[in-house]
Amino acid sequence: METASLKELLSAHGATLVGVGDVTQALTSEIIHLNRAVAIALNRGLGEDTSERLIRLQGLTESWLRERGYRYLSIPPDSDRRRGKFVSRLYKLFSHKTAATCSGLGWVGKNGLVINALYGSKLSWASVLTNAPLIADKPVGSSNCGNCDLCVRYCPSGALTGREWSIEEPYIEIVKYDRCRVLKRSRRLLDDRPNCGLCITICPYSRNGGKVNVNRRVEDMAI
Amino acid sequence: MPTREEVLEKLKNGVIQYDEDACKEGANEAIAIGLDANEAIFEGLVAGMEEVGRLFEAQEYFVPEILMCADALYAGLDILKPHCKQMDLGVKGAVVIGTVEGDVHDIGKNLVKMMFDVAGFTVYDLGRDVPLDQFVEEQLRTDSELVCLSAMMTTSMIGMPKVIEKIKARNPNVMIMIGGAPTSKELADKWGADGYAEDASNALKEAIKMVTFLKNLRAEKEAEKKV
Repeated sequence: METASLKELLSAHGATLVGVGDVTQALTSEIIHLNRAVAIALNRGLGEDTSERLIRLQGLTESWLRERGYRYLSIPPDSDRRRGKFVSRLYKLFSHKTAATCSGLGWVGKNGLVINALYGSKLSWASVLTNAPLIADKPVGSSNCGNCDLCVRYCPSGALTGREWSIEEPYIEIVKYDRCRVLKRSRRLLDDRPNCGLCITICPYSRNGGKVNVNRRVEDMAI
Repeated sequence: MPTREEVLEKLKNGVIQYDEDACKEGANEAIAIGLDANEAIFEGLVAGMEEVGRLFEAQEYFVPEILMCADALYAGLDILKPHCKQMDLGVKGAVVIGTVEGDVHDIGKNLVKMMFDVAGFTVYDLGRDVPLDQFVEEQLRTDSELVCLSAMMTTSMIGMPKVIEKIKARNPNVMIMIGGAPTSKELADKWGADGYAEDASNALKEAIKMVTFLKNLRAEKEAEKKV
């Protein structure tokens, strides 16, 4: 089947995870004709050049779709930092989280990031929207964080509300982004490194390293 | 070595299929085989954009495709531009363009800008959310013949007549075009603007029309030369 061949192609070229989501519900009128999202994830632990590699994988997806006469719109991994192109105005109309959850590759955790059961939040994402009738994977509609609230408790800026994500309630506030930003900005002034990332490293799913499913009590794994 | 036809076809299809790499490749090939850069732009890239306009009108293409096609066109244009000879079309000059204060919508503005870039104008793009006085200052600084004002919202559009008045007071010969959803022929007339375009898709249509006009003009001149 065509969908499987695309997934195989991307896996063979190094994609950590590939999924296809039916994203019809999440689209604004400008992009409503592109109702399938190919979600491509790469394990950031594999190297420094994650973004470049993701963009190459996106390029492969584009060629694959173009050869078959389909339309596409690629949302690059660091879409918020890409400007200066005509199409970059449209990037904000679609989020990688939508692609990831609709294609069943994860849920939005209490840290506000996509959490995949095997790789936690250590993945970088790229999405390709298309009108190709690809077979969609089963979506994930609710959080799997359970009682774990390590990220909420240890977030140095107190930015996480502890609310649980669900597809039914898209507008609940999970992260107070202004608090997160203020902390990152002040850190940049100290050592020129804006990243905090504690909510990624503290997540038991992230620390799992892609080996086994998390089944232990989360408290045992706290720092 | 690819032939002239192959290169033009590659540029044209590169734009239609929003394939930036194909446009870059085609542009480099055009230079390699000594194709006239203006010909590559008009018979290749612009020919592709004309087809994109048709696809858009036929509702085959939508906004994302148009924008990606424009990006592909620029990928080729950036390479070809430095090789362009000044065209003798009776149109040359400079234009100041921007989205007025209070407004950040600039898709239409960017499409119009593309037209001027293709036509070989010097474009002073002030970007979006531009303070009104900056248009006046920039026009004076650059002595541009044309000023283009864009607004998507009625609330920001109301700044337009002030700019038009100030510019015309200093130099009545400056042509002023306004564009954006809330503008109209009537408002353009009332405020003393010289032209208007309704929205991004109309801007695109107008832009293509004007570029096609240039293309034909160029073809005529070329034909005259040969006679």
